[in-house]
Amino acid sequence: MDELYLDNIDEYVNDQDKIVTYKWLSLTLGVHVNTAKQMLFHYLDHKRKESSAQLNATYLVSGKFVDNGQTCHKVSVVKEDKLEDFKSKMSLIVSVHVYSVQKALLKDSGPLYSVDYDAVKDNMKNCSRYSAIRCASAVPVCSPELQQTREIQQSPTPEPENKKPGMNGEANLASKPSTKPQRGIMGMFANKSAPKNQDGGKDVKPEQKEDAPVVDLHKGKPDVKANPMTNFFGSQAAIIPDSPQRMETREPSWSPKKKVESVSHSHQGNSEMKTRKRRRVLKSRTFLDDEGCIVTEKGYESESYSEAEDDVQAAKRAPRNPVAAKLSSSTKPDEKRSHKKTSANANKGTKQASIMGFFQKK
Amino acid sequence: ILDKTRKLLAECGAQRAAKMATLLMFSDISAQKEASSLLCRPTSDDQGPVYERMSLAYSPCSERFTVGERSFSRQYAHIYAARLMQMRPLLSDRAQQKWGPDVLIRKLCDLQTGEQCCIVGTLFKRMELQPSILKEISEEHNLLPQPARAKCISETDELILEDELQRIKLEGQIDRDKCVTGSVIAIYGAEKNDGKFTVEDFCMADLPLQTPRPALSSDRFVLLVSGLGLGSSHADSMLGLQLLVDMVTGQLGDQGEQSGAATISRVLVAGNLLSQSTQDKDASTKPKYLTKKTQAGSVEAIRLLDELLCQLVASVPVDVMPGHHDPTNYTLPQQPLHRCMFPLSSVYPTLQLASNPHQASIDGVRFLGTSGQNICDIQRYSSMDSHLEILEDTLRLRHLAPTAPDTLGCYPFYQKDPFILEECPDVYFSGNAPTFESKLIKGPDGQEVLLVTIPVFSSTQTACLVNLRTLACEPVSFSAFSADDDEERCGGLWRCGDCGRWG
Repeated sequence: MDELYLDNIDEYVNDQDKIVTYKWLSLTLGVHVNTAKQMLFHYLDHKRKESSAQLNATYLVSGKFVDNGQTCHKVSVVKEDKLEDFKSKMSLIVSVHVYSVQKALLKDSGPLYSVDYDAVKDNMKNCSRYSAIRCASAVPVCSPELQQTREIQQSPTPEPENKKPGMNGEANLASKPSTKPQRGIMGMFANKSAPKNQDGGKDVKPEQKEDAPVVDLHKGKPDVKANPMTNFFGSQAAIIPDSPQRMETREPSWSPKKKVESVSHSHQGNSEMKTRKRRRVLKSRTFLDDEGCIVTEKGYESESYSEAEDDVQAAKRAPRNPVAAKLSSSTKPDEKRSHKKTSANANKGTKQASIMGFFQKK
Repeated sequence: ILDKTRKLLAECGAQRAAKMATLLMFSDISAQKEASSLLCRPTSDDQGPVYERMSLAYSPCSERFTVGERSFSRQYAHIYAARLMQMRPLLSDRAQQKWGPDVLIRKLCDLQTGEQCCIVGTLFKRMELQPSILKEISEEHNLLPQPARAKCISETDELILEDELQRIKLEGQIDRDKCVTGSVIAIYGAEKNDGKFTVEDFCMADLPLQTPRPALSSDRFVLLVSGLGLGSSHADSMLGLQLLVDMVTGQLGDQGEQSGAATISRVLVAGNLLSQSTQDKDASTKPKYLTKKTQAGSVEAIRLLDELLCQLVASVPVDVMPGHHDPTNYTLPQQPLHRCMFPLSSVYPTLQLASNPHQASIDGVRFLGTSGQNICDIQRYSSMDSHLEILEDTLRLRHLAPTAPDTLGCYPFYQKDPFILEECPDVYFSGNAPTFESKLIKGPDGQEVLLVTIPVFSSTQTACLVNLRTLACEPVSFSAFSADDDEERCGGLWRCGDCGRWG
């Protein structure tokens, strides 16, 4: 085995001032974890013999430990100077190996966790690739099968469309059995009209993604790759994005949920989440009635709108709803129901329902 | 250092040989292999050993605790009726076994004064200190809402037995402080003149029948852990959790340990994956302008959990049960956490999102347990403090959660009570206990059950390994170091571990 790794480790430890853990080294150099442990040991040994280098190490010790009569298997990360002490307290030692090598003396093991966390996060898909255990059944299921199982899981839930506005992102999906779940989610956040959404998912998605308000809610992550919506429910897309992509798109995958919640809070009775949103708006209708008179009535009507208008309207709509509740000018029974519904919603929005409400003296 | 370490390792080899004769625990099994040292240069040949994860037959019995269509328009009385109806014949059998086949079993409405007989019914404990919403809001009492008490028992508690039609007060040879509402028992005694039933003896349904578990040929383990507490402000336990994951996935340790870890065939997480601090209880009462752009505390924590689970499921099958602090429904049975929260780990078929309580058969060994809410609730309404003692009690009562629905939130079941144990498990556990405890108990019909109380990992850094072959249970603990360890105290003086100065 060539000894290039010694130079590599030297660079990481001395030049870059890094804390090199065996796991980080294994993922960085693409070697088995045990090889990485041995490499670290070799480096430590080599460097100390060569020069009185300023190097510190932490070790992993594991074994049988008896504490107040209770025997347990104990796994510990210890500083080098405490190694012998620790080993002497164990009744049986199972493993000892180098955990990390770094220039500075660590007072706290917190940084070790951070290093390993970052290493694993960058290699999510391959986190077990260099470990000593392989699990035959741990193979990621590819997307069509997963989608099928998801659709099967969703079908038992009977969700009438108008009942639960945005209460549960998945509930809205179930209400549209014709489209695939991902399109439903896509549909919630795209500005394009419904027909466009129906054809091939992939080409439309990047387009829609750009329009999606999700982008505004980013915490400044650079390029968001395709299919952020699909990652909301797991890797649905036929293109399997590899791990760096997925990590980048993880953040936006939460923001669609936030958007769904904000829509529901704007008290829309209509939850039909097609591509363009529909909402009920108080509008004046002028029409000719039976007797030939021109009548102007105020009533709720569905209209479709795009998100840009939503935020502007939201402020106006909230005070209007309680006013609308008092207007009983509408003749349509379902509009009356929607009045009650929106007024109920308005009440919920403005004041927390108190249990005292049940016990008011009338 | 190198020579010293080599010498110590040689000594360890001798120690290992001596320990071969003792009971094989996980440490012993892992240490049995040839002493291959990682404290040496890497050899030029192979990459490193790769052990196959032991894969075992697994079948979840999840239908029992799945709530389908939820209707909350029912009264809770139906559960009690179903409970009594199902348990009455079992208790009648036990009564006859204990007090003779010709013992009189009477309904409360047929009681004769002074007659020795046996009555079967549900216990009700009337407690002054039991929180009552009606008392709190009643204007007559003018009470301020009371903070939650640790124990709600008091000297004035009364025990009452209820059957289908009537109820009667109990006194005598029954420890009122150990009993909880909702337990169905059989009582032997007589009704005296004062209208109360004097108890001479009582019995519980005891363990149900158990199908003998299969004899296994080799040692294989299941790791039980609970109370991960992700998303809390103290991140002290995170390295411990990472060490746990690394041990199970075969990253850390020597070859012996890694091959030992390959025999861990499954990991079961029993609730409280998230910390209590992620539950923003006041979010619903805060005004909108304060909460509009903020994220729920649990969002970041769930993301952390997903990343953690992803590392685990890539290497071992995992059962995840929700707990009191997790984002699922509050009432028992808690439904499994939703797949959509785990985009990274849910693509692996090894992720099994389970309900609480959870029941599964792993290689023929039946596991049944909860995340601990049932035990904590009994602890609150009785004098018992040991989780293990309470766990055993629920098994003897043949009911997972007797205090449901009285003080423990529960779904209003209609014609069944799924918390009644119909079959005796081999491993019965409860999560989120203050300490690790385990005990092997025997039943009256030859049953053998391992009871385990799984400790809270975020505070104890301890998990448990159950050996499926022997039903032995061993704790596994993880530790790291912190700045506080450095101080050595000597009398009134202390020395800094870094610079060596005395202070």
